[in-house]
Amino acid sequence: MSRVQVDRERCVGSGVCESIVPEVFEIDDDGVLQVLRQEPPADDLDGVRDAVQSCPARALVLAE
Amino acid sequence: MSVNTPVDPAQFDIEAIDLSDRDFWAEPPAVRHAVFDKLRAERPFAFFDEPTMEGMEPGPGYWAVTRLADLDAISAQPAVFCSGQGAVSIQDIPADLSEFYGSMISMDDPRHARIRRIVAKTFTPRMLEQVVDSVVGIVDDVLAEARAKAEAGDGSLDVVADIAAPIPLRIICDMMGVPEQDRELVLNASNTILSGGDPELTDEADPLTALIEAGMNMAALMERLAAERIENPTDDLTTALVNSEVDGEKLTHQEIASFFILLLVAGNETTRTAIAQGLLALSENPEQRARWMADPSMDKAAVEEVVRYVSPVTWMRRTATQDGELNGHSFKEGDKFLLFYAAANRDPESFENPHALDLGRSPNNHVGFGGHGPHFCLGAHLARRELAVTFRRLFEVCPDLEITGEPARLRSSFVNGLKRLPARLTGQR
Repeated sequence: MSRVQVDRERCVGSGVCESIVPEVFEIDDDGVLQVLRQEPPADDLDGVRDAVQSCPARALVLAE
Repeated sequence: MSVNTPVDPAQFDIEAIDLSDRDFWAEPPAVRHAVFDKLRAERPFAFFDEPTMEGMEPGPGYWAVTRLADLDAISAQPAVFCSGQGAVSIQDIPADLSEFYGSMISMDDPRHARIRRIVAKTFTPRMLEQVVDSVVGIVDDVLAEARAKAEAGDGSLDVVADIAAPIPLRIICDMMGVPEQDRELVLNASNTILSGGDPELTDEADPLTALIEAGMNMAALMERLAAERIENPTDDLTTALVNSEVDGEKLTHQEIASFFILLLVAGNETTRTAIAQGLLALSENPEQRARWMADPSMDKAAVEEVVRYVSPVTWMRRTATQDGELNGHSFKEGDKFLLFYAAANRDPESFENPHALDLGRSPNNHVGFGGHGPHFCLGAHLARRELAVTFRRLFEVCPDLEITGEPARLRSSFVNGLKRLPARLTGQR
């Protein structure tokens, strides 16, 4: 199972990931990233990979 | 000779190049880019003495970083290359002054992250979906006013004053809740704060007085708005600032004031520069303009290319917190690095034919919003939206816009701004 990991030291809540896969990522009202599905379904994996690549803070890792 | 005629980097003597020379920043863009090409190819970490500033001891100097890979590596290691000693000034200005004008730009984590989170959600792509309609409305209003003004006269207008400045000013002031009658003050103060010592905008003999006065005016405006928001909270960003707590404490008045100044200044100048310089670049590249105009599906890529090509913010500073080595370059604790986004965005290692405006460019991993790291531009998604809407509406509503003369360029090392750009509406639609 692939697992999403967030480096909390790096994340700045830019919300790029949320805009790509809202099913998996959400910025909460305090500006903190919440991972809604730690182990995203196969359908979302391409989006998650895109989000990992696109993160401006390089805060995301998908452990496959 | 057109200002864009390529200049051969070989004509420059590398020992004579001085990025701290104010006159260098008055050179045409082609000259500046040729000098960057020379440095990037031959001396990617080039050392310069600091520009002199009245009443200040000269500091130790700085390394100019011009390769994209080096710039991005520095941005991505904020613990080694910090911002807290000043990110927007080459000189070490007193910490309180630096924080006042730079706010979280000149802070390090964890405090930077805590402050940033107060407003982070407002600037996420998802939240910005909700302001698209108001962005379109503002852009249409501004373009209608520009046309009315031009048509009331001889058809001429100033792209900067009539189009590029009012659009981001109204959008950010709406988001912050700055009333109509105070917006002129915001515009003037941000011009002064980011004038970079341009003699038209600041007194060369005494640049600090004007800077401090502009900061005081903005702080006074914030005090007034903050007092109103405490009484009557709204859903604007100023309300978020006065109500937020960081580490269990409310922000101090000074912290709120500097955050307020940062959001207003950064929200204004950068997008204004991208619009004005972008329109200039399109008029110099008519085939690219025609291509974009005909194809709305290009908006996203074209906006990225405009930001790369223009690089509205020329540099930010980092300071080494320890001795070390980066891509073969040894450095000492306390060394200053100037990250030249404008140079990295023309790095041939990262961009094919880097000096060409190619609106369909892909991939386009530019650093116009900063390198990878915690200080990546907070307003990037807002700017992208503003630019996409502005250019598309311009194509639709003002296809007859024609640049008629040379721009007046801001003489600043920090912002690649234009002060004026003469144009006219021909009426041929």
